[in-house]
Amino acid sequence: MSDPLVLGIETSCDETAAAVVGPGREVRSSVVASQVDVHARFGGVVPELAGRAHLELLVPVIAEALERAGADGHPPVGAVAATSGPGLMGSLLVGLSHAKALSMAWAVPFVGVNHLEGHLFASLLDHPDLEWPLVVLLVSGGHTMLVLVEGLGRYRLLGQTLDDAAGEAFDKVARFLGLGYPGGPAVDRVAAGGDSGAFAFPRAMAEKGYDFSFSGLKTAVVRAVEREPSASTPDVAASFQEAVVDVLVTKARRAVAATGSKGLCLAGGVAANSLLRARVEAACVEDEVAALVPSQAMCTDNAAMIAAAGQWRLAHGGPSSLDLGADPNLALALGAGTPGQ
Amino acid sequence: MILLGIESATDLVGAAVCDEKGARSECSALGRRRHAETLAPAVAQVLALGGLVPGDLDAVAVDLGPGLFTGLRVGVATAKGLAQGLGIGVIGATSLEILAARALDSGWRGDVVAVVDGRRGEVFAARFARGPDPGGLVELSPPARLSPEELPGLLTSAGSPTLACGDGALRYRDLVTGTGGVVVAGSTLAAPTPGGLVALAAARLSAGAPTLAPGSVVPCYLREADARINWVRREGPAHG
Ligand SMILES: [Zn+2]
Repeated sequence: MSDPLVLGIETSCDETAAAVVGPGREVRSSVVASQVDVHARFGGVVPELAGRAHLELLVPVIAEALERAGADGHPPVGAVAATSGPGLMGSLLVGLSHAKALSMAWAVPFVGVNHLEGHLFASLLDHPDLEWPLVVLLVSGGHTMLVLVEGLGRYRLLGQTLDDAAGEAFDKVARFLGLGYPGGPAVDRVAAGGDSGAFAFPRAMAEKGYDFSFSGLKTAVVRAVEREPSASTPDVAASFQEAVVDVLVTKARRAVAATGSKGLCLAGGVAANSLLRARVEAACVEDEVAALVPSQAMCTDNAAMIAAAGQWRLAHGGPSSLDLGADPNLALALGAGTPGQ
Repeated sequence: MILLGIESATDLVGAAVCDEKGARSECSALGRRRHAETLAPAVAQVLALGGLVPGDLDAVAVDLGPGLFTGLRVGVATAKGLAQGLGIGVIGATSLEILAARALDSGWRGDVVAVVDGRRGEVFAARFARGPDPGGLVELSPPARLSPEELPGLLTSAGSPTLACGDGALRYRDLVTGTGGVVVAGSTLAAPTPGGLVALAAARLSAGAPTLAPGSVVPCYLREADARINWVRREGPAHG
């Protein structure tokens, strides 16, 4: 049985996205409507505004994804997949409810997808021939985790952040330095003209384990600027970025070596950071493992990764029930890959 | 004309279908606060009970609020999804209209003030009279967000008694009954129901009211978004 055409819907945070993925995980269309403008003046994602924007944007975004994919049959797709968590409750519910309704209207299966598993599938869309096991460094505004992928659906969580996500640290520091929102690209841009050795910011827990902590780093940045108000902003930004990337890459490399993995894969919005991409590529050359650095489109939240993960879940666990709820804290299904939501 | 009604704006979640002969099936749950888990199965259930498949539907009616923000979005997203998937139109009614139409259907002769509990110490309310319009409602005051203390002003009338209905009227019963000439409806009129919604929407459609394309359906929130960044939720227990 060949995989069906799957419509994916992603509304877990501040991107309203729909995509159509065909057999062999071929991306037929991928449409993302960013809400950056909605949230920019607040310097972060405002949950209630995000929920309202998703509700407004989803119909045209889905229509465009179907049209670009040439999916005009009856039904246009063979299944509908939507993110059921983790994410913002009021946002998740919009995509999930819309997806269930479409599946009823078209009499096709509906499947709920874990957003984190979606990110793991994103790398597969860019690199269809990747080899396992591999370590995925998933870094975004909501998550910072190291996951060992032993095969499709077989994940082991090696470590994660104990406080702020890396992307969140970027947003908060950018806001403190007055660099605007979203913080990641802003810091990246400004840091390019700074001296990354100007400040010796802490690398929390760099020497042990695979867990992360970024709240102390954020505090250290604030203290340094308070102590030295004339400090050059590019120097502060570059030193902060250096500290984050240093910790991320150090731990990821150690995880690759310890697990005998064949590659290191970057995923999530922070994977767009130019220093992180360069450091991962360099480290992988040195360690002689594959560097799987995603395209910009696959770093940020998108629905192609949700459709791809949904297609796999459907084939390996069957559809979800119509009474599936959204779970803001949904964990990645770990272990031997027993499918299930 | 076969119409599906989606109700998810307050504590009551469910669906109903009706046809031109008035045959109806209805399925709802009250007070579970699990709108997303309840609504889609309720839609499947009412269609099955009515011997229908989604393709039989001519339009989708939905409660546009005001009410609970997330419940409201679950309902509107479900209505939009069904309409988009089926290529049919949406007809909306406010929670306050649905409440008032049911009150007038039950035989009340005077004016009706529908009051939905908006939480955070506020209510959403509007005043209606029986009229010749589709669905039999004349809006005397538009839906508004009020403090409960402002309710007596909306309830006072010179003539015959006013009926106050909805969970907001029940919650603030003391304030409401303190106003002379007001009758508070019982708990059967506490929440808008999917049956009440399809009845109102069907009457409006048969009187020539247009349906909307799913992309143009906008909820009635009646409250600005709380513009706080939810750092706590985003940094909360790590998702792993
Ligand atoms: Zn993400």
